[in-house]
This record gives sequence, structure tokens and C-alpha cells, in this order.
Amino acid sequence: MSFITACCHINEESCVLNGDVIAQKNTESGDSWFKQLYKGLTLEYPKFYKMDMLSQAGFIGSELIKKSNPALSTRYQDDEIGLLFANQESSADTDIRFMESYVDKKSPSPSLFVYTLPNIVLGEIAIRNKWFGENMFAVLPKFAPEFFLQYGEIMMVAGAKAVLMGWLGILEGKIEVFVFLVEENSATGMQLNRENLITCAGF
Amino acid sequence: MTYIGAEEIVSPLGQSIRENFQSVCENRSGISLVPHAGFNQEAIHLSKITDLSSSNKFETLLIDTLSKVAKRIDPARITSKKTLVIVSSTKGGLDRNIKDPFAPSLTSLVKHFGLANEPLVVSNACISGVLAINAANNFIKAGLYDHVIVLGCDVISDFVLFGFQSLFAVSATPCTPFDLNRSGISLGEGCAAVVVSNTPEIFKNKPLGLYSGTSANDANHISGPSRTGEGLYRSVKRTLELNKMSFGEIDFISAHGTATVFNDEMEAIAFDRLNMADIPINSLKGYFGHTLGAAGVIETAISMQMMRHNMLIKSLGYSETGTSKSLNITTGNKSSELNTILKTASGFGGCNASLVFRKL
Repeated sequence: MSFITACCHINEESCVLNGDVIAQKNTESGDSWFKQLYKGLTLEYPKFYKMDMLSQAGFIGSELIKKSNPALSTRYQDDEIGLLFANQESSADTDIRFMESYVDKKSPSPSLFVYTLPNIVLGEIAIRNKWFGENMFAVLPKFAPEFFLQYGEIMMVAGAKAVLMGWLGILEGKIEVFVFLVEENSATGMQLNRENLITCAGF
Repeated sequence: MTYIGAEEIVSPLGQSIRENFQSVCENRSGISLVPHAGFNQEAIHLSKITDLSSSNKFETLLIDTLSKVAKRIDPARITSKKTLVIVSSTKGGLDRNIKDPFAPSLTSLVKHFGLANEPLVVSNACISGVLAINAANNFIKAGLYDHVIVLGCDVISDFVLFGFQSLFAVSATPCTPFDLNRSGISLGEGCAAVVVSNTPEIFKNKPLGLYSGTSANDANHISGPSRTGEGLYRSVKRTLELNKMSFGEIDFISAHGTATVFNDEMEAIAFDRLNMADIPINSLKGYFGHTLGAAGVIETAISMQMMRHNMLIKSLGYSETGTSKSLNITTGNKSSELNTILKTASGFGGCNASLVFRKL
């Protein structure tokens, strides 16, 4: 049996960890909203600044989940944590910026191009944590609980002990981020089923 | 084990699996010099489908390929509630709608065939195709579907070509995987399909056996392969362990072999670490170019044909060892009993995947 043991939501204004609002966007700050959240984490990880918004979203979500569940970094072998992420727009937010670099600025930007694949965020999370497990990024017409239930279960049967899952809706200022951790045989958390997942997702 | 068959390919090398395999057997390449294709209007070597109208290429290829698949299985299965279509692609129909690259084409696909289930898009860089076939096997083993049709498709666009040019990753000559003088990729486009099923009866031709595959991340770099081949090493090792197979049972490896200096070196290191350096291996990129999200499906489909014909196919473009660990690269077509084949893929984001299939 699997359990949702932590979840994190980020929208345009607020960041919520396990149901508690932990940060609200300071509209007067010169920092972007994700940079504000990064600073709140008090990490030393300069690579964050090179990431596009999709990767920043997944990075912050995964760091907050770790903050809520510190044992995540120690409880499992380095290939026992799967990554299962999805969204509707793929990497469109950065795709638009890369297209601008060659259409408007007449200079295709390699640093943008490397982020024009949605699974790059999985690589960023894997690099950050030295996780060598299974990865999958899917593009779905909308948030589909069945996809996470079914494929999460498949990853667990194949040997993952935990799966970090997420819906990363990032496009032209829209932010709809839901990152959650599913673990097997946990003493805490909500049982992973359709109803609980929908409640937890909130959309 | 599940059953895999009904492989089809639409590419510059042909409109069917038969034509594509024939071209490959004749060691013909789909890569040619396309004038004014590059960012500075320079000519670029591409494997481009010339008779494909430029609007909605992605959708046209998906529909065309699935129509061909429908002739190779019991056609009633296409619309069954127990059938899922998985599309593997990196950029989909980006040229049509950059903000929503998949939904418009998939909506047309569903409507055209009357598919019962919403297709699933796997977009995991260059391992998308292998990952999608592994996902198909997993969905069936879990009892969620009886049949899964995997469609791998990517088309050449300014977006992708200019991007690879900006990384200095495009070869000035047709790509030469694993060769000493390799200098980058040649982009390609195409669409391929395989059908994975829990029953052999739906196939008009005898299927092959598909075994569980795995993926692993390098956890090293988002756009550079691991220097130790860690993710590929781990993925192949886990795939073999999962199926209780030893490396000695693999008769042939269909490698990723993009022809970039670092990718091919990484693969050579990984296969050497796996004690698989002596197993016959090729890269099909010299025929089809790098078709990104379609590559894993195209190359699996050709490898299935190699198995059916017991024929090793020359690794086009290779002439001299160009990696620090030497591999047993296939330098000419050769008859060979092929019972078990390993297919691998690696991609940006540090991802790697592998799958195994066998003659029944």
C-alpha cells in the first residue's frame, strides 16, 4: 500500500506545504517569486539561477518536500526514488523564449535551448540529489489522477520505494505547481487513492 | 513477457516497414544536403521527408502511421476500450501551436480513428521512444490495458535545428556514429509504431516477446552525458537483472549512437563496464538521422526486422574506432542468428533507458 506523505502547492501568489501557507509573494521585491522562495530555503545551490521556470518550480517543490520529510535523503538507496512528472504545456514557457532568441534577437540561445525539453527538470532534481532512479515526464491534456495512480504503482512494482510526483503548470506567468511524495509502507500520510489525490491536488 | 509486433515506419527511407528495411539492407541513407536549411541559410545534412506538406506534419505522420498499423493487427482493437495509444515525441506539433504542441494533433488522431482512450504523451528527450515501449509493457503487465500502440514521431523544425546549431552539435557531413571523425548529429524526421499486447492473436505476422525495461538518470549534467556512462550502465544492468538474463545472452545491441563526440564515448564506456564490448552493436542514426522522440521506436522497429531476418545491419558512417573503449561495431551486413536484442537510448536531462526483446 502506498501513501502520500508530503505535498506542496505553488501558485502565482502563495506557497503551501502540507496545507500550511509557508510563503506569500512579496510584490515589492525585486526578486522573482521563485527566487524569493529559493532564498527562503537558505540553500547554497547557485545552479538554481541558471534554471528555467519549469526546472525552478520542480526544484523548489522537491526541496520543500525534503524539508517536510528530511528522511527522504537517507531512507532510500540512490536508485529507489522514482520521478514521475507531467503537465499540459510541455516546456512551452521556455520554448517561446528560445523562439524569440532566434526570431527577434537573431541569435539562437544555447542556454535556453537546453531547457526546451520538459524532462530537464527531472535531470535537475536527479543531479541535486544524486538520484539514479526511474524517470518519466508525460504531457497530459489536464491533471489526471489516474495517470499518477497507475504509473506510480507501476514504478513501485518495478522496484521504487518512493516516487516523487508532480504537476508543473508553467506558462507565461501562470503557475500551477503541485509536487507530492508517495512512499510505500509509511506509518504516516494519506493512503494513495483517487479521492485522496484529488483532495490533495485541489484541482 | 508481453508480445510486440506490427512494426511500421514512415521516414525518408520509405512509406512502410518493408521499404524502410529494404533501404537499410541496401545501406542507403535518408540523409541529404538540404539547401538554405540552417540558421544562416547554409545547407545542412538532414534526413527529411520531402513529399510531406509543411503544415501539420506531426499530425499527418501520426494518422498515416496508425492507418498502416491498423492493417497489421485486428483492426477492431484500435478502437477498443482496452487499447491505449502512447505517443513518444519531444516537440510534437510545435510549429502549429508552440503553447500547446500536442493536444490539437491528438484530438484529430482520436477523432480520425475513434480511439476510446485519451492518448498518453511521453516526452522524455531522446529516450522517449524506448521509455514509451517500456511503459506499454508495464501498462499491460499491470492489467490496465490489453493492447498498447506506441507511436514515436518528431519532425524537423527551425526550432530544433537552430537549437542544435547553437550547441555546435550538428555535423557538417552526414553523421558518422562511433567513428573517429564523428562531429555531431544529423537531424531526422519520421514516425514509427509498434504494438504491444497481452495476446499474440491480434497480430497478422508473428510477434516477438517483449521483456521489462528500465530507465536510470545519470544524476550528472542536463546536457552532457556522464563521463562514466553511469545511467546507461545502471539501466542495462537493471533490465538484465529484472529479466534474469546475462549479458552473454544478448546477440545484438541497437545503440543510441548519436555521433556526438561525448555521447558515443559515454556509450562505449558503459558497454565496456557491462562486459558487453564484444557483442555486435550498431547505430542506425546514419540511416535515419537523429529523430529524437521517434528514434527509440524507429530503431526498435528496424531491430525487430533484423531479428525476423536474422541479419546484422551495417552501422552506416563508421570506419575507424573513435572511442576510448572499442566496441564490436557492425561494419557490413551479415547473416547472424539473432534471438535476443538489447535496445538502448540516452538523452538530455541525463536520462537513459533500455529494453530487451526476444524471438518466441
